[in-house]
Amino acid sequence: MNSTVSYSISVFLALALHAGIVAVLLLNWEDQHQIDVQEIEKFYIDASVVAENPYRARERRESAARENQRRQRIAAEKKAEAQRKARLKKVEEQKALAAEQAAQQEAEEMSRLDQLKAEQALAAEQAAAAEQAAAEEMSEEERVRLEQSLALAVLEEQEYRRAVTDDEKAMAYVAQIQREIIQNWSRPPSARNGMQALLQVRLVPTGEVVDVAVKESSGNDAFDRSAILAVQKAERFVVPTDTRQFERNFRVFEVLFRPEDLRL
Amino acid sequence: MNEQISIIELVLNASVVVQCVMGILILASMVSWVMIFQRGFALSSMKRESIAFENEFWSGKDLRKIYLEIDASEHEKMGMEHIFSAGFKEFTRLRQQKETDPDRIMQNVQRAMRVAMSREEERLETSLPFLATVGSTSPYIGLFGTVWGIMNSFRGLATVNQASLSVVAPGISEALVATAIGLFAAIPAVIAYNRYSAQVEIIVNRLNAFTEEFSGILYRSLQRQ
Repeated sequence: MNSTVSYSISVFLALALHAGIVAVLLLNWEDQHQIDVQEIEKFYIDASVVAENPYRARERRESAARENQRRQRIAAEKKAEAQRKARLKKVEEQKALAAEQAAQQEAEEMSRLDQLKAEQALAAEQAAAAEQAAAEEMSEEERVRLEQSLALAVLEEQEYRRAVTDDEKAMAYVAQIQREIIQNWSRPPSARNGMQALLQVRLVPTGEVVDVAVKESSGNDAFDRSAILAVQKAERFVVPTDTRQFERNFRVFEVLFRPEDLRL
Repeated sequence: MNEQISIIELVLNASVVVQCVMGILILASMVSWVMIFQRGFALSSMKRESIAFENEFWSGKDLRKIYLEIDASEHEKMGMEHIFSAGFKEFTRLRQQKETDPDRIMQNVQRAMRVAMSREEERLETSLPFLATVGSTSPYIGLFGTVWGIMNSFRGLATVNQASLSVVAPGISEALVATAIGLFAAIPAVIAYNRYSAQVEIIVNRLNAFTEEFSGILYRSLQRQ
């Protein structure tokens, strides 16, 4: 066999072989490597901050007071309305009386018609004036009331918004604290599912733990101690720099330790 | 992250060093496969021709006639033909020069055949060293690419804040492609080298045997005179 011929055939075969392998790889790659990726999500420990939010309590109290005020105001308005009605009635009565008198006078004395007419007109005018005054008084009162309620609503709205964003921020910090505590918590062998210990933690504004106390014991000393140790080991938590928020949520808070992943 | 990484993307996104390694390995694989095919054809044709020549040689035909046929033929003399023609040419030349000492004639003839033999051996073994080199070094080249790639991806890991598997996995994957290509080049080369060197040895043995037999025949013919 001629050597150049054999070489060219060999080159062709080698190229074909490589092309074939690459093609097979490309075609099969997608199918072969379908790996089901399963998100494994497990939360073993639940150490949640269960402190009653003092701000929320205050807010509730405030809203109750506001509600009370509103009720009182409505009652007062009702009273004013009743008064106004009574006044109107009186005016009408007066008018009717005047008209009656006028009729009497008309019947009695036709000669004093002009005078009477004038008197009648006067009476009518008076009545109209009284009515108008009453109406004006009412509208003024209503306007003030409306303005007040509007301002109140705006204030309420603002307050609510701030509370929501504050709460959201606080939640992020709470999650961070939770993570840290969970990381530091090593449970004793005597820990069982269903045990729970409530701890009260006091912080200073830099986030350092100054005091940890058992508020509700789990009934197992080792378990309580492990919980206290978990908080103490953390030493320092990340807390909001905003003093208002710190005072509201993080000065004193409570932590509930409750293992959920144990087999026993 | 992309749910599937295609092999093309892996190769294209690899670092320059790893890409160079891959290129070298693919080239080595190509060339070694060319050698494998070419050697395969050459060795099989050599075997076929030597068998055909042996048949002709032992058929009882006149040696001079065989020599003339070979000399007249167009194609290159190969294997046994080459050895036979070299020996016979030397033999006839010495006979024409009125050389009478059979030992000296035989010495010269054998020398001529040895030269032809070594030429043949050389031709048989062409490109076998290349296959051996590819077979033994391309795994190391691939390994170098892999180590380099993994080194880089771990260096990248050091700068990342949150270390996760998905940060290093693509780098390691692309680095491993280099080792895969290295093995892909090396395995056929090693197999072919072993197989072809065994075949070459068989052919060389056969040629040696033929050389001895042929010199025996020539010696006998000298003694007959």
